[in-house]
Amino acid sequence: MNRAIPYLRRTVQALSFLFLLYLIIRTAFPLELKIPVDLYLRLDPFIGIITILTKKEVILRMLPAFGVLLFVLVFGNFFCSWFCPMGATIDFFDRILFREKKWVRGLSDQPLMRLRYGVFIFSMITGLMAWQVMYILDPISLITRTLIISFFPPAIFIYNHLLPLIHSFLPRNPFIVSAIPLPLFKVNLFIFVFFIIILVFGIIRKRFWCRYLCPLGALFSIFSRLRIFKRVVTDDCTQCQKCVKECPVGAIPERDPRGYRQQDCIACFKCLECPPHAVSFNFRLPSWKTVDGVNLSRRYVLGSLAFGFFSALMIKTNPLQTESGLRNNRLIRPPGALPEEEFVSVCSGCGECLKVCPNNALQSTLLEAGLAGLYTPRLIPRIGYCEEFCNFCGRICPTEAIRPLPIEEKRLTQIGVAHIDKTRCIAWDTEKICLVCNEQCSYHAIVGDDKKRPIVKEEKCTGCGICENKCPVDGEAAIIVYSSGVQKKLKPEPNSTQNSKS
Amino acid sequence: MDKSPGKRLTRRQFIKGAAIATALPFMPDRLPFYGSLAHAAEEADLIIAKNGSPSQLLQAAMAPLGGMGRFVKKGQRVMIKANIAWARKPEEACTNNPDLFSALIKMCYEAGAKRVAVWDHTCDNYQFTFSRSGLKEAGQKAGADVFSGHGRNVYKKVEIPRAKKLKTAEVLRDVLESDVFINFPIPKHHYATELTLGMKNLIGIVWDMEQLHKIDLHQCIADINTLRKPDLVVMDAIRILTTNGPKGPGKTEDPGEVIASTDIVAVDVYGATLFKHPKTGKPFKPSEIKFVKNGYELGLGEIDLSKVRVKKVSAT
Repeated sequence: MNRAIPYLRRTVQALSFLFLLYLIIRTAFPLELKIPVDLYLRLDPFIGIITILTKKEVILRMLPAFGVLLFVLVFGNFFCSWFCPMGATIDFFDRILFREKKWVRGLSDQPLMRLRYGVFIFSMITGLMAWQVMYILDPISLITRTLIISFFPPAIFIYNHLLPLIHSFLPRNPFIVSAIPLPLFKVNLFIFVFFIIILVFGIIRKRFWCRYLCPLGALFSIFSRLRIFKRVVTDDCTQCQKCVKECPVGAIPERDPRGYRQQDCIACFKCLECPPHAVSFNFRLPSWKTVDGVNLSRRYVLGSLAFGFFSALMIKTNPLQTESGLRNNRLIRPPGALPEEEFVSVCSGCGECLKVCPNNALQSTLLEAGLAGLYTPRLIPRIGYCEEFCNFCGRICPTEAIRPLPIEEKRLTQIGVAHIDKTRCIAWDTEKICLVCNEQCSYHAIVGDDKKRPIVKEEKCTGCGICENKCPVDGEAAIIVYSSGVQKKLKPEPNSTQNSKS
Repeated sequence: MDKSPGKRLTRRQFIKGAAIATALPFMPDRLPFYGSLAHAAEEADLIIAKNGSPSQLLQAAMAPLGGMGRFVKKGQRVMIKANIAWARKPEEACTNNPDLFSALIKMCYEAGAKRVAVWDHTCDNYQFTFSRSGLKEAGQKAGADVFSGHGRNVYKKVEIPRAKKLKTAEVLRDVLESDVFINFPIPKHHYATELTLGMKNLIGIVWDMEQLHKIDLHQCIADINTLRKPDLVVMDAIRILTTNGPKGPGKTEDPGEVIASTDIVAVDVYGATLFKHPKTGKPFKPSEIKFVKNGYELGLGEIDLSKVRVKKVSAT
C-alpha cells in the first residue's frame, strides 16, 4: 500500500494539472461548461482573503475557497502536494530538469523559511491598504496566467503549422479548415521568464518556490499548524535520516527526525518509506506546538509590516496610481470593470478574461496602469475589439473585478468613446468612399454626412473599438477609442430594442 | 398530323417561336406570373419567384432556369458564398434566411453534389455570427459544412487579369477550386455603396476586405467579380433591410422574393429596384449604383433588363 502512494500522488497531480488545462481550454466560446472554468481560482483562499481585504466585501464566487481552509485544518497542506497545478509543475521539473545541486546543501534554511511569512505579512498589510500586487505570486493565478499568456499562443502556433501537414494526409482537394486566429499577448515573454526563474530555483532546493515564497502556502501553513491528521513516529526510529532527505519541503529536522514541522508538511507521504516502518499518519488532537519552527522574530514581523505599509503608501502617492495617472486615456478597461482604483486592487491578474475574449481584445498590462495594475486586463482595439453580444469576461472573473453584466446592460456600457483623426481618415482626407467604421459599428454610433464622411455620435458610442480595429488606414487607426475614465451607462435606443424583440 | 418520323421543325412552329423570341425582350415587366413548376430546360435568364415558403420559392425560381441539375452534376463539390457577416438574428434581415439557406443546400445534394461547403469571411466574430444568425445550425442540419474564413491558410493569392484596380487579392481557395460556385447574397441597404447586392457579396471572399475601401470600393467589387463567374446566383430577397445597412438592425421590408439567375449584373439590377433611393424616393436605377455599372463595363453581365429574359413566377 505504502509503495503505491507515490504513484498515486503523481497520478493525481498529473490529472489535476490536466484538469486545469482542460478548464483553460474550455474557457472559450460558447462557455457552456457546467463546472465554473475558473474553479481553481475560486478554491484559492489567498485570493479569497485578499479580495475581501481590498474590496471590503465578501465575494460569493470566492466562498468555496474557505471550504478548502477547513480541509487544511484536518489534513494540513495536502493541496500543495496533491492538487496544486503549480506544485505539480515544480515537482515535474525538479525531477527531470532542475535537480538540487550539492553545493547548496549547506545553506541555512532559517532566513529563507522566514521569507514567505514576510511575503504573507507584506501582502496582508498592503491588502488592508487596498493595494495588491502579491497576486503575481499566488500560485494558482500564476500558473493560470502563465499557461494562458505564455503557452497558449505557441500551442495555437504549432497547431496552425501542423494543419497543412494534416491536410496532406487527407484525400485530394478537400475543404480546408481555417487556422485558429493566433492569440497575441504583449507580456508573454516577461511572464515566461518569470516562470522559468521560479522553476530554476529548484537547483537550490526541491520545491524552492513552495517552501520559501508561496503566499498561499504560508496561509495554509498557519492553518495547518492545528491539523489533526498527523505524522506519528514510533520508537523503532533508528535516525537513519532517510525521511529527512526525502522530505520535499524539509519539514523534518535533522537532529530529531521523530518530530516534524506540521505546518510545513504537505502530506506527500514520502516519509512512509521508512526502513524500520516507524512512521505512520493518524488522527491526533491539534496542538500549536511544533519542533524547530520558523524563528519569526518581532523585528522581522514589524519590519515586514512596516515595509508593506510604506510600500502601499508609495504606491498611493505615485502619480500613476492617483487621479492624475488615471488620465491615461488609452487605458480602456473591459465592460463592467470596477472603478479603476478598486479594479487594480481586486483583479488577481489570472488572465482568464484574456483567454475567454473571443477577439483577443484584452491584453495584460505591464506598467501602463502603474505597479498596482500589473497584469490587469485592458482593451487594445487595434488588436481586437469588444464583441457586441459577448459578456464572457465578466462571467468568468473569479474576483468579480469585472462584474458579470447581462448582455443588454453590457451593450449599453460605455467603456470609451471613438474619435476621428480627420487628417488621416480616408474619407475626410481624400475623395474616396470608405465608411468601414460606419458599416462595422454595432450601435449606429457612426453616421456618414452628405459626402459620406464618418461622424461619431458620442451618446451612442460604447467604445467597443470595432471601428479602430477595422480601420483600413495603415498603422495607427484614423479612428481611435479613448477611455472615458469612468464607465457610463448609455440610454437605450428605442429602435434597437423593438427590432431585437420582433 | 406529323407524318415525318424525325422530329423536324415545321414552318409554323418556327415562325411562332421566332415571333415569341423577338417579342419577349420588349415586354419584360408585363409578363404574367407563371403558375406551373414543370419545366425541363431553361426558359429564362432571370427568374423572380414570389408567394410561397422559402423552399417553394427556391423550387419555383430554379425550375425555369433548368433546375439545379443544370448546375450541379453528380459527385461535384459545391461552394456557396452566403452572407453570414454579422451577429444578427435572422429576422433582422442582415444575414441569409436560414430556411432558404437549408433548402438551397438540400437542392444541391438532391442534384447529386458530393459535398457542399458554405463560406463567409465574417465581419463580426465568426462564432457569434454563426450562432446568432442560426445559419451554422441550419447548414449543418442540411448536411453542409459551414466554414468561416478567419484563418489566412484558406486563402490563396491570385492575380485578377481582368481587373482595373485590384490586380491581386487573397481570396478563398475554395472559390477557385470547387466545381460549382453559387453566390447567395441578401440585398441590403449600405451606407458606403448605397446597396449591398450580389456583386458586393463577393467582398466576403477576400482576406483583407477593409483594405478595398482604401483603393476604390466600387471598382474593387467589380474587379473581384471577374475572378470567377458564379455558376448560379440565388438572391435572398424574402426580407430585406432598408435602413442602417449593412449591419443593421434597421427597418425591414418583406418582398418575399427569391431571384435566380446566372447573370450577376442582371440580378443586381433587379435587386436594386426593390429599394427606394433615399433622395428621390423612387426605386434605384442601375446607374445609381456605381459597382453595378463598373461590373457591366467589365463585361460581367447585362445591365439592361430589357435585354434579359425575365420571368416572374408564383410559387403557389
